[in-house]
Amino acid sequence: MRGAKSAKWVAIAAVVALGATACGGGGDTGNGKASGKNNGVVSVEIGQPQNTLVPSNTYETEGGQVIHALFTGLTKIDSNNKIVNDEAQSVETKDNKVWTIKLKPGFTFHNGEPVTAQSYVDAWNYGADQTNAQQTNALFSHIQGYTDLNPGPKKTVKTHTMSGLKAIDDNTLQVTLTAPFSAFPAQLSFTGFVPLPKAFFKDPKGFGKKPIGNGPYEAKTSFVDNEGISLVKYAKYPDASSFPVKGINFKVYSNQDTAYKDLLAGNLDVLPVIPTSGLATYKKDLPGHNIDVPEGAVGYIGFPLKYNKAFQNAKIRQAISMSIDRDAIASKIFLGARSAADDYVPPLIDGYRKGACGETCTYNPTKAKQLYKEAGGLPGNALEIGYNADGDHKTWVEAVANQIQKALGVKVTAKPFEQFQTILNDLDAKKYKGAFRMGWQMDYPNFEDFLRPIFSKDAIENGSNYAGYTNPTFEKLLSEGDQGATEADAIKKYQEADDVLLKDMPYIPVYFYRLNTGFSDKIKSMNIIAHQIDWTSIKLG
Amino acid sequence: MGRFVVRRVLQAIPVLIGVTFLIYCLVFLLPGDPIRALMGEKQDPHLALVLRAKYHLDDPLVVQYWHYITGVFRGDLGTTYTGRPISDIVSQRFPVTLKLSLTAFGFEAVIGILAGIFSALRRGKFLDNVVFIATLFLISIPVFVLGNVLQLELGVNWKLTPVAGIEDGWPASYVLPGLVLASTSMAYIARLTRTSMIESVRSDYVRTAIAKGLPRRRVIGVHALRNSLIPVVTFLGMDLGSLMGGAIITERVFNLPGIGGQLAQSVSLREGPVIVGLVTLLILIYLVANLAVDVLYAVLDPRIRYE
Repeated sequence: MRGAKSAKWVAIAAVVALGATACGGGGDTGNGKASGKNNGVVSVEIGQPQNTLVPSNTYETEGGQVIHALFTGLTKIDSNNKIVNDEAQSVETKDNKVWTIKLKPGFTFHNGEPVTAQSYVDAWNYGADQTNAQQTNALFSHIQGYTDLNPGPKKTVKTHTMSGLKAIDDNTLQVTLTAPFSAFPAQLSFTGFVPLPKAFFKDPKGFGKKPIGNGPYEAKTSFVDNEGISLVKYAKYPDASSFPVKGINFKVYSNQDTAYKDLLAGNLDVLPVIPTSGLATYKKDLPGHNIDVPEGAVGYIGFPLKYNKAFQNAKIRQAISMSIDRDAIASKIFLGARSAADDYVPPLIDGYRKGACGETCTYNPTKAKQLYKEAGGLPGNALEIGYNADGDHKTWVEAVANQIQKALGVKVTAKPFEQFQTILNDLDAKKYKGAFRMGWQMDYPNFEDFLRPIFSKDAIENGSNYAGYTNPTFEKLLSEGDQGATEADAIKKYQEADDVLLKDMPYIPVYFYRLNTGFSDKIKSMNIIAHQIDWTSIKLG
Repeated sequence: MGRFVVRRVLQAIPVLIGVTFLIYCLVFLLPGDPIRALMGEKQDPHLALVLRAKYHLDDPLVVQYWHYITGVFRGDLGTTYTGRPISDIVSQRFPVTLKLSLTAFGFEAVIGILAGIFSALRRGKFLDNVVFIATLFLISIPVFVLGNVLQLELGVNWKLTPVAGIEDGWPASYVLPGLVLASTSMAYIARLTRTSMIESVRSDYVRTAIAKGLPRRRVIGVHALRNSLIPVVTFLGMDLGSLMGGAIITERVFNLPGIGGQLAQSVSLREGPVIVGLVTLLILIYLVANLAVDVLYAVLDPRIRYE
């Protein structure tokens, strides 16, 4: 029995060794239950942010939601989707090129440091510098001196400050752009443009775990990956009284279906985006506690215009567009979570024109077929539409394929790619010749944000122009819009640029996204602006 | 015994090194590009180039692997392409997975073996039939169905267990996911124990033990059970490994931040270093579990000796 005895000990030791790690970790943050009634604390679902919580490295809604509560920027979007000043007292310019921004006094970071013009200059220089490889790097490209900070890969950056940024005094910031850009104040509302305290530059990593912002809420705990972060109201915030919520618990969910169940069970207070599985029932499940409003995002079908001649005739693209029954897609496939697109710019944007696309975006199979014949058809009478199978795209792309096939008598196949990036790789290699699905979510609510990043010549190298579309008239009108003396002038020019697109149809706009949000009994009413919770709008029950 | 253990541990070293290289190659061969995967629909080609240079992604496979493995020997598991240290990920996710899989392991071992013994002893009787139907039920229901249904009923409707997350700590947050994760294996173990128990009860040495006048408890508990446990222990040992790496569905349903979910995410983001790190860890667990199984054979069956 000796052998057996010692064997027993080895086995026990192995099990203990495994178990010891299990007990040691215990990484629970004492978040506690979300729903203690009326203590003024609400819990909000987020996805795991991609990076640590550094504003210039946060380009997704997950982290953006937290940054938005922790920081205040120069401008913000109000409930009518207009740009208004936030920390800025005034944002002025004569030529849309040199901007003078005065700050409201009294704002401090959560560690007590006052917010000055220099806090902005430092933050933006950091964001634009390629050495720091920040996700929002390209957003700073309008500022003079941006190219000095971005000489290209494997090259050393010689200067770490952009010549276009000047802190004239503590409360005055002067920004010089490379060219006139009338949408600059709108761009400033994006969370990438918030200021950073001196503490950030000493320890960016630590800061990313527990950010020190200048916003209405301060971090109570450090961010725990895949779990979340707790925020409390910052008492010294100048406008603190207009924020009814006392504290926020951001809870990370890897699965929105689970979050939806937690919302129904009362363990979660706000679910910003209802998952597809809940769309059919959420208005019944959460009567009076749901939001259904238009969102700043568009879904398209795109074409590799730059190398596939078959699509270069605009009539082909118009024919395809007219064979899509957008209303059916929006109501039957998306159960109202989308609406039919009738422009390149969604309804909540200033300057949106209802029905701007006209008959090109209206379902008309007869006319479509006629146009298709006039254009000479597609080679082999066949069309492929690629989509990424990791998102919720299969059903609608297949439905669209079906509609086109019926209307044009062309063989249409929906081709799955495993990820969106695999489509892009094949487009880069000029390997994939078919059409593809594409989406765009705005960074800031301005007409321009739905044109330049997707269709301009610059965006081929420095943005999302995957079609490789170029049109000199469009470029000209875009830059005229940038120089618009007043907001109305700018919008007018952008609309003309939009008209060029509507005629050319480089992409086919298919649907506009709608935002479907649910919240618990603890909240009486609330509002979401540009994907982000408007914390002043919440009324607690 | 000691020499046997040492030999097995030494054998594990080339296995580990070979496997890390193999997995590194496999991830490298996957189509796609981690930096692009990160940026999703909003690509910034300029920034992508900068990031690719920073993480050596333009170098040949062998050079990349060299960067990685030298880092590992310096005690640095590397970072994700967003700059998060992989050791952080491991230390946060691993405890969750361990708690979950050991809970599940406990359930399947205790419930499975007990159910197996009782149905073997009451062969053909009511209890045997109950166990038979229950196991059939568990084997035929997919884990995500069982998970979602139990979550909805016990969590949302009856509020007996937490719906999701690990806020309530162990055991509250882990009982239901553990049970769901254990369900299929539990059924297998019950069946396995039953069959092998029926066989031993019929064998000569058990008849001899009964004839000797030993109490029934001792005959069943020591003579019969110990012998019938060999296939069960083999199964349990293998299963511990798959419980760790294969809990993706259960982790997703119950929002548990464990290894499985991270692996799935890292594969879709093409994060080579993370995948290699986590898989190596899982292999290590497999090796340890298998060693424990082999050693346990000697405990269960005195005829087996390792010298």
